[in-house]
Amino acid sequence: MGSIRFDKVDKVFGPVSGGVKALDDINLEIADKEFVAIVGPSGCGKTTCLRMVAGFEPPSAGIVSVNGKAVTEPGPDRAVVFQQFALFPWKTVRENIELGLRNKNLPKAERDGLVAGALKLMNLESHADAFPHQLSGGMQQRVAIARAYVLDPEVLLMDEPFGALDAQTRVVMQEELVRLARVNPRTVLFITHAVEEAVYLADRVAIMTRRPGRIKEVLDIRSVRQAESWDRHERIEDVMDLESFVHLRTQIWKSLREEKGAHGV
Amino acid sequence: MIGRRGWVGLGSVAAVLLLWFGLTTATGFVSPGRFPSPADFWLSLNQISTRGYAGGGLAAHALQSVKLVAMGFVVAIATGVPLGLWMGWDRRAEAAINPIFLIIRPIPPLAWIPLAILWLGLGDGAKIMVIWFAAFVPSVINSFAGVRNIDRPIIEAAQMLGTPRWRMVTEVIAPAAAPMIFTGLRLSLQASWTTLVAAELVGALAGIGFVLNMAQQDIYPGMILVGMVTVGVLGWATTYALGRVERRALAWNVAGRD
Amino acid sequence: MQTIPLRLSEKWAWGALGLVGFIGLWASLSAFGIVPRQFLPSPLDVLTRFIHLLTNPFAGATLPQHLASSFQRYAYGVLLAAFIGVPLGLLMGWFRWLDDVVTPLFDGLRFIAPIAWVPFAALWFGVGIGGPILIIFAGAFPPCLINAYRGARFVEPRLIEAARMLGTGHLRMILEILLPAATPSIVSGLRVSAGLGWQSLVGAELIVAAAGVGFMMVQAQANVATPTVMAGMVAIGLVGMAIDVMLRQGEAWLRRRRGLQA
Repeated sequence: MGSIRFDKVDKVFGPVSGGVKALDDINLEIADKEFVAIVGPSGCGKTTCLRMVAGFEPPSAGIVSVNGKAVTEPGPDRAVVFQQFALFPWKTVRENIELGLRNKNLPKAERDGLVAGALKLMNLESHADAFPHQLSGGMQQRVAIARAYVLDPEVLLMDEPFGALDAQTRVVMQEELVRLARVNPRTVLFITHAVEEAVYLADRVAIMTRRPGRIKEVLDIRSVRQAESWDRHERIEDVMDLESFVHLRTQIWKSLREEKGAHGV
Repeated sequence: MIGRRGWVGLGSVAAVLLLWFGLTTATGFVSPGRFPSPADFWLSLNQISTRGYAGGGLAAHALQSVKLVAMGFVVAIATGVPLGLWMGWDRRAEAAINPIFLIIRPIPPLAWIPLAILWLGLGDGAKIMVIWFAAFVPSVINSFAGVRNIDRPIIEAAQMLGTPRWRMVTEVIAPAAAPMIFTGLRLSLQASWTTLVAAELVGALAGIGFVLNMAQQDIYPGMILVGMVTVGVLGWATTYALGRVERRALAWNVAGRD
Repeated sequence: MQTIPLRLSEKWAWGALGLVGFIGLWASLSAFGIVPRQFLPSPLDVLTRFIHLLTNPFAGATLPQHLASSFQRYAYGVLLAAFIGVPLGLLMGWFRWLDDVVTPLFDGLRFIAPIAWVPFAALWFGVGIGGPILIIFAGAFPPCLINAYRGARFVEPRLIEAARMLGTGHLRMILEILLPAATPSIVSGLRVSAGLGWQSLVGAELIVAAAGVGFMMVQAQANVATPTVMAGMVAIGLVGMAIDVMLRQGEAWLRRRRGLQA
C-alpha cells in the first residue's frame, strides 16, 4: 500500500512563463515495498521528485500520488531523511526521535517502547541523551534515520542521505541500510548521484537526463541481484567486485555520460 | 588564573587611575570645577549613600531606575518578540506591518520623549512608554530575522513529522530563532537604559538620570561622576544577568559560541 | 511556515492595507476626540504644520535651518568618531598588546549610555557646539572601533601568513592588507555608527542645545505645541532614513566594486 506514482509530472520553477523547467513528463511507478534509486547529473531534478512525494513542492502539471491518493502536504506517512540531517539541535537524540510519535498522540508507554527499539536498531543507545552537536556525522544521520523509521512509515524518502558523510562512514551506513531494508522492507525512494551506491542498495535504478529532467531508462537490479546471490556477501567491497555488479554500474555510467554533454560537465 | 592579558588589562586600568589622580589632585591641571578628583568622587559617593541627594539615597534612585528599565524592557519584549515571530512566519503579516515599521523606525526613541511628556507627564508612565518604543524595535527586527534564518530542512523535517501549529511554534520555531532573539534582547536592554537615562534627564523626580540632572544644575562634578558610574554598573549588571539567562537557554548552541 | 514569498502585487496590497489601517486609526482617534486634539493632532494637522515650518520660524529658526544646525553637529561628531575609532580599531586588531591595553578600558566605559555624558557636556561646553559633539561621539565611537577591530582581527589567517612570508612590514600590513580586508566590516560599522550618532544627537539636543531640531521639539513641548513636536519627529525620521539609505547604497556600491555580492 505504499506505492508511489508519478503521472505525466512537470515542474517549473519561477514565473509561469519564462521560468526554469526542472522536470519534463515524469512517469514512474514504484510498487509497495520496492526500493528505487534515482540517479542523474547535478541539477537534473531528482531531489525535486523526492520533494514532491514528500509534499514540499507541488507539481506544475500531472499528479504525484501515494497509494492512489494525490500528495498535498508533508506527513509522517512519507518520512524524509535529509542530506543535511535536519536534526533539532536543541533536542536530545531521544527527543528528536520522539517528536513524531508525540505528534501522533501516542501514549507515553508506547512511545518509550518505540523509541527504545529505534535506539537499539540504530546502535544509539549510549547516546540517547546527547545533543546532535556532540555526535559525529554518521551518528547524526543514524538519528535522522531512526527518527524516520520509528514512525513505521509506508514510504521512506531519502535525499542523498550519505552525501555529507566521509567515505568510510558512508560504506558502513550503506551496509546498515541494506540490512534494514532486507529485514524490515518498505517502499523507499532514494536519491543519489553515486552510481555504486544506487546499484548496491536498490531494486531498480531510474536514470534521469539533465535539465529538464526526464526518466531516461530504468534498470532492474533485483533480478540480477537475486540470480547472482549478492546477498551472500556481507561486505560491500565483495559485492562491488562481482562482474554482474560492475556490468550494471558501467551500464549506468555510460548512460549518464551521454547526459554530460559536450563540455563534460 | 589571571593570564598575561589580565595583568596588562589591570595595568592599564591602574595607569588611568593614576593619571586621574595626577591630573586632578596632584597637579591641579584639571580644576575641580571641570572634573572631580578621586577624593571628590569618594565624598560624593559617600554623601549620596548615607545622607542622600536629590531626594533620596543611592539605592533608592538606583532601584527606581532599574524598576522602570525592567518594566519597560519586559513590556517591549513581550510585545516585540511575538510580533517579530509572527511577521517572520506569516508573509502577509510582514507585508502589512512592514510599512508602518519603516515609518516609525527612523524616529529615534529619544525623539519620543517630548511627546511622551505631553501625553503622560513626568511620571513613570511616560518613561515606560519611551522605553517601550526604544526597546520594541530591536526585539521585533531580530525575532523576525531569527525566524527567517531558520534552515529550511529543520522546518520541513518538523512538517514531515506532522507537527501541529502550537508545537511548531514552541518546540521548533522559538528554539531555532532563540540565538537571534537573544541578540535582539541584548540590544533592547541597551536601548532601554539609554532611553531611561535620557528620559530621567529631561523630566523626572527620581532615578539616576534625575541625580545626574540635579548634579549638573548644582555644578557638582563629583556627583555627576557618581551618577555616570552608577549607570555603568547597573547597565553591566543587568546585561550580565541577561547573559546568564541566555547561556542557560542556549546551552545546546555550540555553533554560535563566540 | 510560509516559505514561498508573496507576489509583488500581493505584498503591495497588504502593505497598503496596513498603512491605510494605521493612518485611519490615527485619524479617527483624533477626529472623534477619543484622544484630545491637543495631544493627538490629526495626520493632516501634522502635515500642515510640517509644511508651515519649512518657511516659518519656530524657536528661532525655520525647520530646514534647525535641521542644518543639527546636521552640522552630527557630522562633526560622527567624523571625529570615525577618524579616531577606525585607525585605533585597526591598530588594536594588529597589535595584540594594544588590544590588551585598550579593551579593559573600553569595556568599562561601554555600559555608560552616551546620554549620561550630557551633564559633563553641559558643564564643559554650556550650550556650545562641543556638548552635542561629545555625546554624538560617545554614541558613534563604539561601532567604528569595534567593527574596525573585528575586521582586522578576523582576517583570513592564510592572507596574513602569505603577507608575512613576503616580508611585509607593519605599516604596509595595516594599510595594504588589513584595511582592505576589513573594509566591509568598517563600512558596516560606519552605517551603524551614523545611525547611533543621529540618535544621540537628538538626545543631546533635547537638553544641551540652543538650536537644532531637538531644541525645537523641547520648546514646542514646553508650549504644548503638539503638531510641532510631531513635525519635528517626522523631520528627524526622514533625515535619519535618508542617511541610512545613502550609506546602504554606498555599502552596496563598495561591495559590487570589490566583487562581493551586493
